[in-house]
Amino acid sequence: HQSSYSRLPLSVQVARLLAPRSAVLVEAVRGRKSRTDPVAKSKEGRIKVPPPVDPVEMVVLKERYTEYKLIMRALRLEFKEEVLRKKYEEETGSQAEERARQEAEEHRALMGWNNEENLRMLKARILRVQKEAEEAERKKIEAAIQREQEQQEFIKEKEREILQLQEEVKNFITTENLDQRIEEALDNPKNYNFAVNKEGKVIKQTVLQ
Amino acid sequence: MVHLSSLLLKKYHGGHVVIRFALAGHKQANRPFYRIVAAYNKRARDGKYIEQLGSYDPLPNIYNEKLVSFNFDRIKYWIGCGAHPTKPVAKLLGLAGFFPLHPMTITEAERRGAQMETETEESPKEGQKQADVES
Repeated sequence: HQSSYSRLPLSVQVARLLAPRSAVLVEAVRGRKSRTDPVAKSKEGRIKVPPPVDPVEMVVLKERYTEYKLIMRALRLEFKEEVLRKKYEEETGSQAEERARQEAEEHRALMGWNNEENLRMLKARILRVQKEAEEAERKKIEAAIQREQEQQEFIKEKEREILQLQEEVKNFITTENLDQRIEEALDNPKNYNFAVNKEGKVIKQTVLQ
Repeated sequence: MVHLSSLLLKKYHGGHVVIRFALAGHKQANRPFYRIVAAYNKRARDGKYIEQLGSYDPLPNIYNEKLVSFNFDRIKYWIGCGAHPTKPVAKLLGLAGFFPLHPMTITEAERRGAQMETETEESPKEGQKQADVES
C-alpha cells in the first residue's frame, strides 16, 4: 500500500514570485490557469485518481481521529473556562474591590486638594483685582487733576496775552492820532543805515541824508 | 484562476481567528523561517496578524536540531477565545506535548517504519541472490 504524498502547490508560489508589483492585492487561488485555458499537451489523456486507501489503516485512523477530537474538544472547553474565570477574577475578584476603594480614596483626596488650590487662587485673584481697581482710580484722579491744571495754565496764558495787548493798544495809531503821529514822524527822522567792519564791528554813526 | 480582491477586511471581520504559520523574511530566497501567529482567517498568510505566539525554523542547525518556540499562556488564551489551529501547527504542538499526538503523525511514522522494513528485507534478499548467482 503505497500512498502518494500530496505535493505543495508550487504553481501558487511561482505565480506569486512572477506577478508584477501592483497597487491592488492580487491573490492566486488554486493554480495558475483559468477555466477557459486549454489543457497542457502532456496532460491530455490524464484521468486523475485519488490516492489508494488501505481499509485496515483507515479503521485505525478513524479510531485515532475520534479520540483526538474528543481530547481536543475537552482541552478547548477547559481553556475557555480558564479564560472566563480570569476575566471574572479581574472584574469582581477579591482584589478588585480593594483596588476600587483605593482609587476612590485617591480621587477624593485629589479633589479636596484641587478645591483648596482653587480657593487660594480665588483669594489671590480678588486681592489682585482690588489692587488693580485702586490703581485705575488713582490714575483717573491724577489725569483729572492734570487736565484741570492744564486748563488753568491755558487761561493764565490767555490773560497775559490780553494784558500785553492792552498795553500795546496805547501805542497804536488810530484815526485821531494819525495827523499827530505823522507830524511826529516827520519831525524826528530816524536813520536805519549802518556799516559792518571786516572784523564784524557794527558802526551805527552815519551821516544823515 | 487568478481573481482580484480588495485590500481586505480592515475593519469588518466576519471571519474567525486561526493559529497558523506565517513566512517571515520572505524577501530571502531558499531560507524559510516561520512565525506561529494568531491572525484572522481571511488575511494574507504573511499579512497583518493579531499576535505572534512563537516561531519555527524548518532547517536544522549545526547540532542537527530544528528550533521551535511557543508562548503557551497566550496560546491557551486564544484557544479559549475560539481560535482554530491549522494542521501543521496542531502536529507541532502534539509533538511538543501541549496537545495530544496528531493521528497523522502516528500514521506517517508507521508507514515510514513499514517502508524501512521492506527496504531492509529487500537488500539482504538481493545480497543472497547475488551470492547465489556468484556461487
